[in-house]
Amino acid sequence: MHSRASLALALGMMAVSGYAVIAAWAWPWKASLFPLAIGVPVFVLSAAEAAWVVLGTTEKSEVQDVQIAQDVPERVALGRTASAAAWIAGFFAAIVLVGFPAAVPLFVFLYLKLEGRERWVFSAVFTAVIWACFYGLFDRLLHLPFPQGWLAAWLGF
Amino acid sequence: MIEALFEGLFLVLQWKPLAFMALGILLGFWVGLLPGLGGATTLALMLPFVYAMQPVEAFAFLLGMHAVAATTGDITSVLFGVPGEAASAATILDGHAMAKKGEAGRALGAALASSLIGAIVGAFALAIAIPIVRPLVLTFGSPELFMLAIVGIAFIASLSAPGPRGMLRGFLAGGLGLLCATIGQDPQAGIARYTFDMLYLWQGLDLVAVLVGIFAIPEIIDLAIRRSSIAGSLPAGRISKGAFEGVKDTFRHFWLTIRCSLIGTFIGIMPGMGGTVAQWMAYGHATQSARSAEERKGFGAGDVRGVLGPGAANNSKEGGSLIPTIAFGVPGSTAMAILLGGFFLLGLVPGPDMLTKHLPVTFSMVWTIVIANVVTVLACFLLLDHLAKLTTVRGTLLIPAILVLVFIGSYTSNNHYGDILVTLLFGGIGYLMVIGGWPRAPFVLGLVLGKIAENYLYISVARYEAAWLTRPVVLILFVIALAVIAYPFLQRRKAAHA
Repeated sequence: MHSRASLALALGMMAVSGYAVIAAWAWPWKASLFPLAIGVPVFVLSAAEAAWVVLGTTEKSEVQDVQIAQDVPERVALGRTASAAAWIAGFFAAIVLVGFPAAVPLFVFLYLKLEGRERWVFSAVFTAVIWACFYGLFDRLLHLPFPQGWLAAWLGF
Repeated sequence: MIEALFEGLFLVLQWKPLAFMALGILLGFWVGLLPGLGGATTLALMLPFVYAMQPVEAFAFLLGMHAVAATTGDITSVLFGVPGEAASAATILDGHAMAKKGEAGRALGAALASSLIGAIVGAFALAIAIPIVRPLVLTFGSPELFMLAIVGIAFIASLSAPGPRGMLRGFLAGGLGLLCATIGQDPQAGIARYTFDMLYLWQGLDLVAVLVGIFAIPEIIDLAIRRSSIAGSLPAGRISKGAFEGVKDTFRHFWLTIRCSLIGTFIGIMPGMGGTVAQWMAYGHATQSARSAEERKGFGAGDVRGVLGPGAANNSKEGGSLIPTIAFGVPGSTAMAILLGGFFLLGLVPGPDMLTKHLPVTFSMVWTIVIANVVTVLACFLLLDHLAKLTTVRGTLLIPAILVLVFIGSYTSNNHYGDILVTLLFGGIGYLMVIGGWPRAPFVLGLVLGKIAENYLYISVARYEAAWLTRPVVLILFVIALAVIAYPFLQRRKAAHA
């Protein structure tokens, strides 16, 4: 997983820096100098990293950063990662479709019930507390403009 | 001057300024805890309320609020791995790693104690800098500010893992950050770079949205994979007990805390550098304090020095950034630009008058920073047991609450869905970086400093052509940048020979 992620990043950065260099070529020098000065070395370095992975040097390098759950089997970790990603994407979709005020309680309640397997009453109370904090602070106190969501707009609410 | 210093203290200690300061502290406390809602946003929201206040009351309210937001921002960073403020993201690397090891109390104790020392150093710098600030600030033109950004970028070498592979990944991460900094309208030629015809991208990537994504999303996924609390199966009693140990750590590494406070103050003084830079430079300096390669490995895995450095710099920068704001009316950051608006609302003109006629008001600001931080840190210590116990709450309860905060925090940056998409995109990149063993700190350093470096480089070339390269301070900073890059290599070589 470690080397696959590194290869994905290196290839992604090759693509991004390659595009950055090609796009910058068409601009006046004032606008293109900085992207070119960074893009070219990044392309070369990411190609070196990709080659490093592909040529078989897959040992884990030390890193000054946090490590994600290493004591969980890889297959289980992948499954749970996919599930977490789906919940995150689902929450975003809900926000776009029904807006923050409805998506927040919907997501919290469903997550507690389906993923957390919490009891009905506990899930309802916890959801109500989160929603009250959200509504009281962001909507009532700070008057932040939360759009109503595409679905609500389409239905004419 | 001494008379004005005490007059400033007495002005703040009257009941009305104290009451407004308490209100400001209360607001700043919560603003700091909530991701996305930055101190600058809240300053802007609260600015209309100062119309009816006296200057001392208004600054006690505004500065009290702003000064504590940086302190409490560290709490969210340590406990949940979500940056409460953009300027408290660096605390995550070691602070949250300590929380995962069951040392949340110690990390919070260290963050709070170093924040307090940082705030005092920043306030002290503000007090003593008043007579000498003018020549210092005027020494730094665009060439020097460009070189200062280069010194910051040079810290990538210290923030990367040892060995050629670690360095390669560190520089790649830094390069990605620098590339991302070029997104948006180019300030020189007006070209929209990498915006894909989207108006949203014209102003570039929003720092809060990127930081929340790159740090918070991997932590949420980690929590979802482990299916336990942040501190795992560690007993709750142990977690909250280390707070005093964290305070002792601050004094154990006292000179590191002072040095990082001075870095924060200095970056704060420099107009246009911004507070986010200070914490990462301080973190880079903290990693250099490791005496051996073995010690360096501890950074990112929960070394308390990684908490002390950013914690101190984060708070000392406030005093520093007030210096050019008060003395010249040149704001050092967005928050200071808003505070400058407060000056005009109150009928005060920044400049010589603030250093002569209104000197007691200026000193009242110094005292406000100190008192507000002392009050906040004491209040936080009283709450520390409860705060640290949050790391024992099961993940299935924390994940929805944190995700709501992450999405709202990201969205409120610009009130645009694009911010959430940016958060998700960089959340994915952050996850791959953690899984792949790439350091995230160099990326943030590149992103923060890229735009600053590019702007100052063009101004320097346009104004001085190649002559800027021979300016004495530029040469000194160039040597410092080389030393910063060479230091980890020299350290490793020394360790190999030992």
